[in-house]
This record gives sequence, C-alpha cells and structure tokens, in this order.
Amino acid sequence: MVTKTEESQLNKLENQVENGGGGAWEYLCLARKLKVRRSDKVLKYGLSILNDSRKRSSLGPDEWTLYEQVAVAAMDCHAVDVAKDCISALQKKFPESKRVGRLEAMLLEAKGSWEDAEAAYSSLLEDNPFDQVIHKRRVAIAKAQGNISAAIEWLNKYLEIFMADHDAWRELAEIYVSLQMYKQAAFCYEELILSQPTVPLYHLAYADVLYTLGGLENLQTAKKYYSSTIDLSGGKNNRALFGICLCTSAISQLARGRNREDKDSSSDLPSLASAALEKEYKLHASDKLSVLTSTLKCLRVSS
Amino acid sequence: MAEDLVLDTAIRDWVLIPLSIVMVLIGVLRYFVSKLMRSTQVPDGKIVKEGQVIVRARNLRAAANFIPPKSFRARRAYFSNEENGLLHVPKGQAQNPQAQMFSDPNMAMDMMKKNLSMIIPQTLTFAWVNFFFSGFVAAKIPFPLTQRFRSMLQNGIDLSTVDVSYVSSRSWYFLNLFGLRGLFSLILGEDNATDDAQRMMQMSGFGFDPTKNLGAEKDGLDIVQHEWALPKFEQRAEAVLRKLVS
Repeated sequence: MVTKTEESQLNKLENQVENGGGGAWEYLCLARKLKVRRSDKVLKYGLSILNDSRKRSSLGPDEWTLYEQVAVAAMDCHAVDVAKDCISALQKKFPESKRVGRLEAMLLEAKGSWEDAEAAYSSLLEDNPFDQVIHKRRVAIAKAQGNISAAIEWLNKYLEIFMADHDAWRELAEIYVSLQMYKQAAFCYEELILSQPTVPLYHLAYADVLYTLGGLENLQTAKKYYSSTIDLSGGKNNRALFGICLCTSAISQLARGRNREDKDSSSDLPSLASAALEKEYKLHASDKLSVLTSTLKCLRVSS
Repeated sequence: MAEDLVLDTAIRDWVLIPLSIVMVLIGVLRYFVSKLMRSTQVPDGKIVKEGQVIVRARNLRAAANFIPPKSFRARRAYFSNEENGLLHVPKGQAQNPQAQMFSDPNMAMDMMKKNLSMIIPQTLTFAWVNFFFSGFVAAKIPFPLTQRFRSMLQNGIDLSTVDVSYVSSRSWYFLNLFGLRGLFSLILGEDNATDDAQRMMQMSGFGFDPTKNLGAEKDGLDIVQHEWALPKFEQRAEAVLRKLVS
C-alpha cells in the first residue's frame, strides 16, 4: 500500500503538471514505482511526451518503459488504437520479447477477444510457468467474462503456489463476499490480517463478514475486531463505530434468554461509540443528526 | 631500522595510479561482460513455492495473536500436520543441496561462468602486477606492522632490514581489490558482478537450503503460544473513544 507521504508527493506532482509546471516525467516515474492506477493522467502526459520527438529521444532507453506504461494506461482508458500504436512500436524494437507478448495478449483482452487472449496467455505460461502477472490476467479474463467460479478456481490454483501474495488474497476475499460465501471470505481476511496486522481495513472487512455470518460467538468476535479497527484508525472510522453499536444490540438480543454474565466490562464501549458518532455527525452532516439519534435510541432500546 | 626511506614520486605516478586505473577499468569491463553473458534463469518451481510457504508461515507466527484461536489452530495443523502438512519434510527427502546444485546442469553452468568471470581477470591482473611491478618498494603504510606481515607484503623486496611498513605493489593490488568495491557500487549501481569478496562469502556458506528452513519454521510454529490479543483491543478502543469524545 502506498504511504501517505508518497501519496501526497504524487498528488503534488500531479497538480504541478496539471497546471503546466512541467515535471511530467517525474510524475510518470513515481506512478510507475508506486504502482498506482491513474491511467487517464498517465495517458495524457505520456502521450504528450511520446508525441514530441525531441522529448522522446531525450529519454534514452527509458523510452520503451514509457511505451509500455502508456500502452497499459491506454488499455485502461479503452483507447485501443493508442495502445496498438505503442505496442507495434515496441514490437518493432523487441521482436521476440516475452514482455511485449504479454502486452499483445493484454491488447487482445482489451479488445474483448477472450479466447485468443486466453490462448496467448497459456502459450506464454508454457515458457515461464511462474509469471505472476500472467496468472492474474487469466483470473481477470474469467472474471470479466462473468465466469466467477472459473475465476475462483484459477485464483485458488495461483494461491497454492504463490501463497504470500496478499493482493490475490484480497481479490479472492472480495469475490467470495460477492458470492456470499462468507466462511471462505473470513478465511481470506484472516490471511490478510496475518500478513499485515496493522492495516485497519482488513480488520474492518473481517468484522463485517463475521457480523454477517451471525451467531453469538461471531458477533462477539466481530465486536472485538470493530474495536481493534477503532484503535488502529484512531477512532475516526464511522463504519466501525456503527459496527460496535449494531453488534452490541444484536448480542443483547441473542443473549436475552441466557444469563447476563456476558455483559463484559466494556459496557461503556457502545455509549462511547454512539457519542463519537454523534460528534462526527454534528461536525460533518448536522442535518442528519436527528436520524442518527433516533436510530441509536432504537438500538439502545432493544438492548 | 627506523630510517625513513624517501620514495620517488615517480613511483606514485607510474605505479600506484596506473594500477588503480587499470583495476577500475577491468572491473567495469567485467561488469559489462557479465551482463552480456547472463542467462535468464527459469525459477525452479519447488523453490518458489517453498519460499512462499516460508513467508506465509512466518507471517502466521508473527501475527498469530491477531486471529481467533480456532483459526490459528486450524492453520497450524495445516502447516505442521504429520502426513501432508506443508512444512513437514519426511526424513528421506532431505536432499543434500550441494548434490542438487551440481546435478542441475543449468545451475552448474551458471556457477562456472560466475567463477570464471571472477577468477580469470584476477589471475591475469595479478600476474601482470607481479611481472611489471615487482622488486621495488611501492608505498609506505602509515601505521607500523609486525614482522609477521613481511612475507605477505614485501615479497618482491629481498632485503630483510627494510621496515615492514614499506610494501611492494602486490599489496597495493590487494588493497585495491577489496577497496574498490565501494567505488564500483557508486558508479555501477548495486548488484554488480565485481563484488568478489561478497561472492566468495556466499560460496562458502552455500545457498538456499529449503529443507532446513522448512524444518526451522515448523519448529517455530509448534512453539508459538496463541494468546488472543483482541480482547485487549476493546479496552484500548474505549480509551481512544473516551479521548475523542471528551
């Protein structure tokens, strides 16, 4: 994930180039290094550099990297002709290259000819069965065609080999959530928490999935993960605050028949959470404050 | 014994500086030649997978306290299960990695190429230095040394009464050999083929021994006591919110 300083630096450069201050090349390099996806800007600035033959020759060997970057950005913005030009330029220079072959297959994918793209990827994989990018493109093809089960299958096979790739785990988790296979999604989110325990996003998503699964134990665990999200994000995460209130009311509904010893010591937490929510709403959306207070009262009444 | 020899400045001009320049040039030449000769290495499937497994097991060990106990136990069983756990290596399979290295023809060729590209220029330069620059005192080392170093540093000089601080050009060659590493990493960027000393150290402690790593990870995983950290977080969240609300 991109850190805050890097992101602010990127934004600063972007503003600078936008307002005509030059520095397009640095922006493109930084975007490439951080692997952020700002394809429209990349396309615009990249093309402006490439079309100007003087600037292009001043780049030297980096020119080809720029071609690749612009080709990918063009495919993202569905400017297929631009992508085709870039790729043919690269092809002339590097005729037998695997990297260019990959770009060609991506172009086929962008044009929508799925079978050709898949055949191209399979042949590339035969030469190098450990190319992570190509594996992931295959998953993307399956997903784009709407064939979610094939996507899951490919992704699982990929993860069997490359099990430390947390982006792939994240993708799998989101696919499972979209298919409502919450238990598997919970497993994936656990993997993500294991690899990056200080990212509050994963705690939040895991808590959401647990809350959706339901059941007393899951609800209590969900409450704990919502609180860890609050802790990790410094109390600013509204969704986690809501989550705490909802979990508390759901738990007390379930536990109404049983003994109340589960009323653990953190009984201040829901009231604190609702107080924090009210404060946030007062600050940012004061017209909705009345809706919020009535909702919270309902939740508290049933608890 | 403590007389000060006056060394001709011509020595500095015609020995020390040319020798350094030649070594820098040879280093650069070797870098480019190695770049040309480097063959793309197809990563071995098993090694890639094992590397990833180790990373995942390490993550599990490091962040074990963040997931619920049941999940942790399930994962631990998955990794260290006696029959088909990922980290479990049956005794018979623990291959000697050296044998494996030599049996794989690609890797053997690669190793040979790397060795050659290191040994040949060194040998040639050394022979050249010996032939042209021997038999005279080349430099004076600024700190005093014991007599033990005489044979190493003064081999061309056949006088035994000369102070050991006065060395021959062979020692200047060795000094350059190890000292120019820093210069090369400046002008050639990291990962250049001239890191001879580094390579020598790598060769002595050979390589990627996956079976031992797996066994080590398994032991580490078995030791871990799971202490779920999440309940504490509720209290911490309370504290955070209290501060926020107040």
